[in-house]
Order: sequence, then structure tokens, then C-alpha cells
Amino acid sequence: MTEADLVLRYNYDAFVPAKFEPWMNFDQSPKVGERAPDFPLWPLEGGETTLSALWSQYSYLVVEFGSFT
Amino acid sequence: MNALAERFQDQNVGSIFVYTHEAHPGEQYLHLTSMEQKYRHAQALRAVLGVTRPILLDALDGACHRAYGSMPNMTWIFNGAGIPVYKSDWTDHHSVTNALEYFLDVSQRRRAKERLAPFRVERLDYRNQDREAFFRGLERNGPKAVDEFKAAFSE
Repeated sequence: MTEADLVLRYNYDAFVPAKFEPWMNFDQSPKVGERAPDFPLWPLEGGETTLSALWSQYSYLVVEFGSFT
Repeated sequence: MNALAERFQDQNVGSIFVYTHEAHPGEQYLHLTSMEQKYRHAQALRAVLGVTRPILLDALDGACHRAYGSMPNMTWIFNGAGIPVYKSDWTDHHSVTNALEYFLDVSQRRRAKERLAPFRVERLDYRNQDREAFFRGLERNGPKAVDEFKAAFSE
């Protein structure tokens, strides 16, 4: 899958099972107790950071994932 | 979740909101095609939904969201070493509060020199299902979002 195709499919244009269900893979997500993968993130106010830069600032970091709708 | 963030912030607990993609694209908030658009939608999280925690955007291809399971409203808790200690396929502040209280107590027991070893546990938690509020959210995005949700779940 090309990057352009990935962006198109991930940002599906309609809430229909064939488009949203393939992305739901919580059962295959990282295990608790094992080092988690790191990713870049972009603060709303500007700039760029990483998940690891954030979790390393705290004893615990709560991360809620979500959307507007 | 905003109140939870404020409650625990003095105990060195950070809280962030990662904006992923539009779960229910509609007439008002279309599916994402650019980072510029993604920033605009993320602004609405603050202005319309009142998210007071730091809001951070995932990449346009959802790299972070996909790696952690792509659920529409999940919550993870990481310790300072980057180890996930809690993962939930839905967000419920009662559940997150319960977990944080437990982990902060673990930290206190460690400081008291109690010898502790980690183990994994599975548990079925329960979330509030406010369908009226949920549909009000869908309606805010226009009839497309409402109709597609009803069709997806035969309502």
C-alpha cells in the first residue's frame, strides 16, 4: 500500500464497516509490561514532539486517543 | 477526563489527548485529507468540546493510533520508562481513576521498600453509555454521520 493510499484509507470518508473495521486491531496492540513503540506527535499550538519525550516527563502519562466526531 | 487530569497533576501524572482521525465524517467535519485540515479539526476539540488537556496530533496516516490498536476512543497509561501499564479499548474516567490510584499506591509501597513483582491482569470494566449525548455529537456533524451510524448498526 502506498503512503497516499494509506492516508486515504485510514481517513475513510464514510462510517461503513468495510472501511472502519479493518483498522480496529486492539487485540494485536502492544502488551502491557513491554516497551511501547514511540511516535512523533504535533502539539496543537505548534512544533513537534514524541510520545517518549512526554512519558519520560512523568511518573505516569495518561493518553486518550479520540476524534472530534 | 479533564477533571481527572487536574486531580492527578500534582502527583506527577501527565494527561494528553491525541487527535486521530474523524470516526464519523459528516457534512460539518469531513474526512481528513491534509495536516492543515487536521489542525483545524483539532482546534474544535478545544473550542467546541472543551478539551483542556494538551492536544497533540497524530500523523496524517495515523501511525501512532494504528500501532496502538486504532480504537476510536481508547486510553493508555505509560510509566516514565515508556512501559504501558494500562490499556483500555474505550475511555471511562472511573476506570482510569481506579488504575491511577492503584499505580500511585504501588509507587508508595515501593518507596516504603516493599518488594513487588509485576503481573498481568485482565478485567472487564464498564462505561457510561449516554446514547442521547452520543447522537447529539453525531448530529453536530450533520445527517450523514447519523445515518451512517444507524445503517452500520441496523438502528
